[in-house]
Amino acid sequence: MTEDYYPWGGEFTACSPKGCVAVVLLNIQYNPPETVAIYGRLKTENIGIEKIIANTISNPYIRFLIVCGDDIRGHRSGSSLIALYKNGIDHNHRIIDAPGAIPYIENLKEEAIRRFQEQLNVMDLIGEKEKEKIDTIIADCIQKSPSSFGESYIAIRLKPENTVSLNDNRALHSRIVIDYLGNVRTRGE
Amino acid sequence: MFSFTKEQKVFDISGISVGGQPGMYPTVLFGGLFFKGEPDFDDAKRHLQTMYDLSKQTGTPVIPDFFIRKVEYIQPIIAFIEKVIPTKHPFSIDVIEPSIKIETLGLLAERKLLSRTIYNSIHIGITKEETEALQKYTPEMVIVVAFNPKDKSPDGKIEVLENGAHLIECGLLELVRKIGIQKLLVDTAALAPGENSGAAIAALPVIKEEYGFPAGCAIHNVVEKSRWLNDFPFAKKTVDVASNNTIPLFGGDFAIFGPIENVALVVPLIAWQDILVSEYTENYFGVSPIASHPRRKLLK
Repeated sequence: MTEDYYPWGGEFTACSPKGCVAVVLLNIQYNPPETVAIYGRLKTENIGIEKIIANTISNPYIRFLIVCGDDIRGHRSGSSLIALYKNGIDHNHRIIDAPGAIPYIENLKEEAIRRFQEQLNVMDLIGEKEKEKIDTIIADCIQKSPSSFGESYIAIRLKPENTVSLNDNRALHSRIVIDYLGNVRTRGE
Repeated sequence: MFSFTKEQKVFDISGISVGGQPGMYPTVLFGGLFFKGEPDFDDAKRHLQTMYDLSKQTGTPVIPDFFIRKVEYIQPIIAFIEKVIPTKHPFSIDVIEPSIKIETLGLLAERKLLSRTIYNSIHIGITKEETEALQKYTPEMVIVVAFNPKDKSPDGKIEVLENGAHLIECGLLELVRKIGIQKLLVDTAALAPGENSGAAIAALPVIKEEYGFPAGCAIHNVVEKSRWLNDFPFAKKTVDVASNNTIPLFGGDFAIFGPIENVALVVPLIAWQDILVSEYTENYFGVSPIASHPRRKLLK
């Protein structure tokens, strides 16, 4: 079930498959209740956010995304996620007005981002670390029992050619050639 | 073990040389002082002393890497550097937040420490304000992180150095030139398992052959992110320390390791690896190690 719903691997816990809430944990010691669909930590403002998008839009039952805890210093990943939800990305794929250090979304199509913006209601609880308060907000969301968004959206990683291929018979790299002694030279020279 | 056709650059900072053909200069180790929570300077001082002692004993050059996570830590950490780091020794400053970077540069300039500073780091997230601050307060050396969110392969890392992967106005190498920094180290950006973690190592000989710049990375970060290793706590420490070996073995020039608590394991390990590399590269490529190399120091 987890693999069906959440195609991009990552450090997350899948709970109730038809739960309507996903929880993003920043700097916080907190385990959400089992009634949520999925929860996990967010560290980086680029790859981490991409995984959250891919692994929420893949489950159409998820309609709320709660972002809680203190933001990650330097990376400002939580605020960058909120910025993405509000503003999207520019022509360079940079999250508009994101405060993070390297807030680029490069492995998802814009269509996936739009789907994220439409399917999810992102709740900004950055700075909130009180378990009871977060539990209450989760319960309120569940109480609303929103309907499924419809079809699952499986986001394909762009640039699949960068994944490792065991059939690749190039010597280490396309730019260099290494002989049996270890002499390195530029390929073609 | 490699020999590069491209001429290899060697950069010196306060008497420590980084770069060159494998086997000539010893691998430079950056020991990370992360200061989780309130900085414990007594503890840091002890670890630094161990690091310098081991360096003296083995010939492996060491540079402390100070991580500054909060604005209120800038002043005390720089005061600690002034007080504890030998005056002719370099150090690096590792900051993520652009505003803290700028403030740190200003204070380093005020304390006349920029000639010993390695700025860790410049990457595609650089802001206009940070660029201006670097032009005004220019550190002696900079670490350029070749992280490309679009393409994590060695090609992607080259792309970001070359043209900024079209995410920023120009390539990171040109940006460094524009700022006016001559000495740069390329960090091949070690990423988590599943994110082409091996590319950080594979990119080392590629970048050295392509540009001749010193190259290295913080490969220990990959170990930290290998959560499955938490089930093997005894092995995890070994893997953490041993991961650094892959850098000199692939022709790299520096390793950023952490935490500094591992120093007693990492320094002798890298000295051992450097001896291994040097024996081969001298025999097959005629590269002689410098006088302070661990091979000269430890093999009598």
